[in-house]
Amino acid sequence: MRRRTFLRAAGAGSLAALAGCAATPTGDGTTPPPEETTGGATRTPRETIDGTPSGTLRVATYDSFTGEGTAGTYLKSAFEDEYPGVTVEFTTPSNGVNQYIQRKQSGAPIDADLYVGVNTDDLVRADERLDDALFMHSRDHLDRADTIKPDLEIDPEGRAVPYDTGYISLVYDESAIEAPETFDDLLEPAYEDALITQNAQQSDPGQAFLLWTIDAKGEDGYLDYWDSLVENGVTILDDWQPAYNAYMNEEAPMVVSYSTDQVFYGADADLTRHQVGFIEGEGYANPETMARFADTDQPALARLFMDFVLQPDHQGQVAERNVQFPAVTDAQLGETFSELAKEPPEAVTFTYDQLQGNVDEWTDAWARRVVGN
Amino acid sequence: MAPSRWPERAALPAAVAGTLAVIAVVFYYPVATVFAEAVLDAGRLTLDPLLSVLGDPFYTGVVHHLFVDPAGVPAGLLAWVDAGAPPVEFGLFGFTAYQAALSTLASVALGLPGAYVLARYDFRGRETVRSLTIVPFVLPSILVAVGFLAMFGQTGVLNDLLGAVGLGPVEVVFTLEAIVIAHAFYNAPLVIRLVATAWESVDRRQVETARAMGASPLRAFLDVVVPAIRPALLTAALLTFVFTFLSFPIVLALGGLELATVEVWVFARVQALDLSEAATLATLETLVSLVLMYLYLRYESRQRATTGAGQPLPRKPLATGWATLRSPVRLALAGYAVVAAVVFLGPLVSLLLESVTAPDGSFTTAYYEFLLTQQASTAAGTARPLPAVLNSLVYGAGTLLLAVPMGVVVAVVATRGGRGSRLAETVLSAPLAVSGIVVGLGLLQTMVFGTVLFGYRLTAAGPVAVVFAHAAAAYPFVTRNVAPALGGLDSRYHDAARSLGASRLRALLDVDLRLVATAVLAGAAFAFAISVGEFDSTVLLAEGTDSYTMPVALERYVGNRSLGPNLGPATAMGTVLLAVTGLSFVAIDRLGGRWEP
Repeated sequence: MRRRTFLRAAGAGSLAALAGCAATPTGDGTTPPPEETTGGATRTPRETIDGTPSGTLRVATYDSFTGEGTAGTYLKSAFEDEYPGVTVEFTTPSNGVNQYIQRKQSGAPIDADLYVGVNTDDLVRADERLDDALFMHSRDHLDRADTIKPDLEIDPEGRAVPYDTGYISLVYDESAIEAPETFDDLLEPAYEDALITQNAQQSDPGQAFLLWTIDAKGEDGYLDYWDSLVENGVTILDDWQPAYNAYMNEEAPMVVSYSTDQVFYGADADLTRHQVGFIEGEGYANPETMARFADTDQPALARLFMDFVLQPDHQGQVAERNVQFPAVTDAQLGETFSELAKEPPEAVTFTYDQLQGNVDEWTDAWARRVVGN
Repeated sequence: MAPSRWPERAALPAAVAGTLAVIAVVFYYPVATVFAEAVLDAGRLTLDPLLSVLGDPFYTGVVHHLFVDPAGVPAGLLAWVDAGAPPVEFGLFGFTAYQAALSTLASVALGLPGAYVLARYDFRGRETVRSLTIVPFVLPSILVAVGFLAMFGQTGVLNDLLGAVGLGPVEVVFTLEAIVIAHAFYNAPLVIRLVATAWESVDRRQVETARAMGASPLRAFLDVVVPAIRPALLTAALLTFVFTFLSFPIVLALGGLELATVEVWVFARVQALDLSEAATLATLETLVSLVLMYLYLRYESRQRATTGAGQPLPRKPLATGWATLRSPVRLALAGYAVVAAVVFLGPLVSLLLESVTAPDGSFTTAYYEFLLTQQASTAAGTARPLPAVLNSLVYGAGTLLLAVPMGVVVAVVATRGGRGSRLAETVLSAPLAVSGIVVGLGLLQTMVFGTVLFGYRLTAAGPVAVVFAHAAAAYPFVTRNVAPALGGLDSRYHDAARSLGASRLRALLDVDLRLVATAVLAGAAFAFAISVGEFDSTVLLAEGTDSYTMPVALERYVGNRSLGPNLGPATAMGTVLLAVTGLSFVAIDRLGGRWEP
């Protein structure tokens, strides 16, 4: 956001500054000449920093990663303490990664160096919609790459690097219901009107649950399975928060949520309504990743930040503040967290290659089937 | 004409030009860039996206045959009749329209008695109640969902009350009924405000004349009062239909995906960056809305109810001691009051209770302490409550100052009559008929990303951009309030002023606007409400960290997990929002009541 700083310095009294109007010559956009790529990323040699790191690092992320007490705020102050010459600036576009895909499409400048919070489907969409790569390769240039849990690696091109992961599971009320063992159990009369989930078109856990059923029932069987699920009274709300709120209001004894649910309440709380259920002994892994923008003019500083996020102590902090599991094998976690955060016996996840060319069609077919019922 | 008069003569055309310029920059151009996706493919005109949507039974039901196989329609009709005319499906568009029609009926049923009470009865606090009726209009949908769940849920207040008298439980949430009631909660205030304003401007002398000439009270009501309030009622019904046709978040929050509207699909297509299909769906939504708007405006222009210049009808006391119990009308109104209390006050009071209730049901002040913590925080990215309140008020005031003149100018142009003025007004009412998702996307592509002109990329975001965007969304409400009143004015007053040498502008300000002051005031309240409640454009244009509004801050608190995964912080902020907007509306009405143009 150097443009805005400049405007502030130029005296924000004028109407143009107040309106945030700005005119920049279009040649000024530091877009590198288009390279021949095959939808993937070009491998550039590892960038190095001469002398001490300095300058501004612009981190794009989602809303709740920033603000009082969050992982983002912790990382910012820790990074700035370590490298006094560096300032970390957050920007939180309301439409997430799409903002940058659309900027790239319309030739607008990308006002950020790296994005924290890229999901697998974001990556798929970016590659499908753009001719040039939105993100650059990072994995092979990271000192901490080898400590990342292998099954969290979602990007065959090594652009998106995981920094934490959630496991989608059921959260249920053990005084009202027994945990379903299998997906077929959910179709039994015992589970009539018992489940609240989220709309896969707009919600991460909702999409994860849908993909989990596709993994279990197959591409050819999942729609029929959902027919029966709708028949049995599943409620599909817009997003995680309304769904969880409805569950807490006792609208149903089960909700699709995260396996870290108990961490919010602590060991001393009554956890009757916070039991975690792993259907078929599985949970759906939803790794969150970070990736450097191909257009960044701070590639080395951004890489330094990525390595910083993957350090054992910072990984512990990110996990606890984000209430997710760390992405590395050697994270320093508090005992309470480890005890209350439940890991599924087996993690299911769709890789980039499996989602490519499919995820949109699967989701749309699913939504049409639900509405058609 | 004396030379000194030219500024006054130029004032109206200049105001029209200024209004058009604002709307073009922050509405028509951005929205056009999105709609272009529906009909352009690599720069060439194409009908493919449109035909693929219209020919898709999922979207249009049986109507898709018209577009896929028009020649086979007669045979298909015959086969259908032979089969005994089974019920047919009209797809997503059909369901959306059906839902909107039900919601409109519910909003009118809930709003009309309220308008009657406010216009025709006197009771303590009437003015305040009248000002506060518009409050539900500005509540973010997430809070409406919270309030409704707490009120109508399985373990909600209503079921507790019913249980206490041995009834229930009733299942309301996650049904079509829940969506319809929530839409009535949002839109009945429109009906109340618009109809009450019209009712209060009925000239008592006309009623008295009718009675003196031997008409029964009922006859006088049908011949004088009904024609005077009909345009307002239809306007309110039309707006309600359009809004509920375009309804999005509340549908999934209180109904569920099975009850999805077209707008849910628009959003999903935008999320998937399939802008061509999103734009096509949105274009069809807008067409439906604008055609209705046009038909309505043609109808309205043929109505001529003289209003405004006389004295209002005298109000009756609402409570008349013990005699109240012998008045069937008053007893019916008492019944209405119970329903209104359940639908309006129920969710609002439940929301207040939620803001002081911990997850385990005990009393807590933690959520309000949270607001204080946020206020004291210095961390980047923290939305602080006080700046949010101040920003909302500043933007609201700015919108009011901009949208009221814009709306009045458009109303003046619309009531001039002449060829094409209905069409012009329809086009100028477009901000009511375009989905918020599309407006947001358009603003993103044009103002936030910037528009390239002469080798420069022009971007605009920030407070002024927000106010302009709000004004574009709000001025049609002013127009819809003012145009019917202006159209019904007795032109003799205006003509008299003109013949005494007043310029057109002078006559407008000193005569016409004075006579329709109540309508202008109602429009101003709506303009403020639209601004305070607006989220989609604000969150894009208030880019940066310090120009967020109350709804934007509230959205941030929804995602805040510092007090666990609950909506407590958001409900506390919602209570602040309710208090601030409630006071604002009372202030607007009180100050506006003393306003002299």
